[in-house]
Amino acid sequence: MNKLIKFLFVFSFFTGIGQNSEQIIARQGQVSFFSYTSVENIKAENNQALSIIDFSNNKIAASMLMNAFIFEKALMKEHFNESYIESDIHPKATFEGEIIDFDASINGIQTKMVQGIFTLHGISKELEIKTDIDSSSGKFVLTGTFETFVKDYDIKVPPLLAGNIAKTISVTFRFEYEPYEK
Amino acid sequence: MSLMRNRKLLFVVFLITGLYTHINAQDDLLGILDQEQPNIVDYTSATFKMTRISYGHSIETRKKGILEIFVANRFWNIPDSKAQSFAADRLAARIALEYGVTDRFSMGFGGSNFDGLFDGYLKYKLVRQRKGGSPFSITLLQGGSYNSNAFPDATIQDDFSNRLSFTTQALIARKISSNFSLQVAPSFIHKGMVPSPIDPKNVFAVGFGGRYKLGGHVSVVSEYYYVTNPLESVDTYGPFSLGVNWEVGDLMLQFMLTNTRNMVEDTFIVQTPNNFNFRDPNLNFGFNATYVLHLKRKK
Repeated sequence: MNKLIKFLFVFSFFTGIGQNSEQIIARQGQVSFFSYTSVENIKAENNQALSIIDFSNNKIAASMLMNAFIFEKALMKEHFNESYIESDIHPKATFEGEIIDFDASINGIQTKMVQGIFTLHGISKELEIKTDIDSSSGKFVLTGTFETFVKDYDIKVPPLLAGNIAKTISVTFRFEYEPYEK
Repeated sequence: MSLMRNRKLLFVVFLITGLYTHINAQDDLLGILDQEQPNIVDYTSATFKMTRISYGHSIETRKKGILEIFVANRFWNIPDSKAQSFAADRLAARIALEYGVTDRFSMGFGGSNFDGLFDGYLKYKLVRQRKGGSPFSITLLQGGSYNSNAFPDATIQDDFSNRLSFTTQALIARKISSNFSLQVAPSFIHKGMVPSPIDPKNVFAVGFGGRYKLGGHVSVVSEYYYVTNPLESVDTYGPFSLGVNWEVGDLMLQFMLTNTRNMVEDTFIVQTPNNFNFRDPNLNFGFNATYVLHLKRKK
C-alpha cells in the first residue's frame, strides 16, 4: 500500500515535469487575410501571432492581437479596429483545437486536418482547416489557408461599402515552432 | 521514527509539486499563450477619428503620407422673405488640403469664400493616450490666417500685419469608453484687426467637444467655445454645433447645425455674430466632406 502510494507520488511528479518538453510554441507566426473585390483589394498582415502545440494529445491553440494587423492604408487599420472588429472590446482572435491523426515522429511533410473552435469578434465557430506540417528542417512549420464568411462573425458592413469588402475572406497562416520552455 | 516522518513530509512535498506542475501543464494552451503574449504599446486610436469634431479641430492628426481633401460648406437663409431661394439663400465654403507629414505631425492650408480668409495650420500630437500610460491625448495646434478682404474703413492703415490673425490651441481629449470621447481646448487668439479700438486684440477661449458613437460608422458630436473676453463693440456669441459624423471608407462626412458660418478658428471663436436658435439667419446647416488619399502605402 505504502509502496503504491509512493509510486503514484513519484509518477505524478514525473508526468507533471514530462509534459512541458512535449510542447512547442511559435511566437512570430504570420497570419494574413485578403479580401478581393472588383472595387478594392484589402490585405492585412500580422507577424506576431502566437501558437502552441502539445504533442501529448495533439492539441493546438493560436492567438493573435487584432490591432497588430498591418494594412496598406493607415486609415483602413483604424476603421478595421474601430468600426468592424471592435478591438477594444474583442482584442484577440483565438483558435483552440486538435490536429487529427498527427504523428510528431514522422519526418517530412504531412497534411492533416485541424479541427477546432475559432473565436473572432466574440463569436465562436467550428472550423476544419487543411494544414501542412513540415518537420524536415528540424523545426515544425505549420502552414495553411482557409476561407471564412464575414457575416458569420457578426461583422457589420454598411450597405454603401458592401462592394468594397468581400463576403468571404481568405486567411493564410505560417507558424514556425520551437520547443517551449517556461 | 523521525526519519519516517521526514520521508512522509518529503512525499507530501513531492505530491504537491507533482500535482501542481501536472495541473499547470494541462490542456489550457490558450492560457499559456495569454502569458506568452508580449505587451505591445497600444495607443488609443480613433478618439474622434476625424481631424475635426464638427467645425473645430479635434486631437486627431492624419498618419504619415495621407493627403486629405477637405471641403466645408455652411448654408443659411437670410430673414428677408423676398430672398427665399430654392434650398438656401447663402453659402459659405472652405476648401483645404491637409497632409500628414509624420504620424504625429500634420499641416493644412485652406481658403474660404465668405470671409475671404486664407489660412494654414500646424498640428502636433504631443501626448497619446494609452492603457497604463497617459490618460489623455494632447495635441498642439498653431494656426494663422490672412484676411484678403478689402477693409471697410479707409482710415485703417492697411498693413500686412493687420491682416494676420493667429490661433494657438492645446487640444486635450480622452476616449472615456469605446463609444464616448470628450475634449477640452484652451485657446488663445490674436486678432490682427478688431472692429473698434475698445475691443481686445488678444482673446482667450475654452472649447468643449464630445463624440458619442451610435454604431460602427456613425457618431453624434457637439461642440461649444466659451469666450472669456469677447469683443466689446459688437455682440458676439460662442459657437455651438450639434452634428452627425459618418465615415464611409475613404470618405468622411460631417453634418451639423450650428450658429457659426466662419470656418477659421480666429473668426468663429471671436466673431460669431448670432446665437444658436432656429430663426433666420442664425441657424446654419453645415456639411463637411473629407476625402482621404493615401500617398504612401505600406509595402
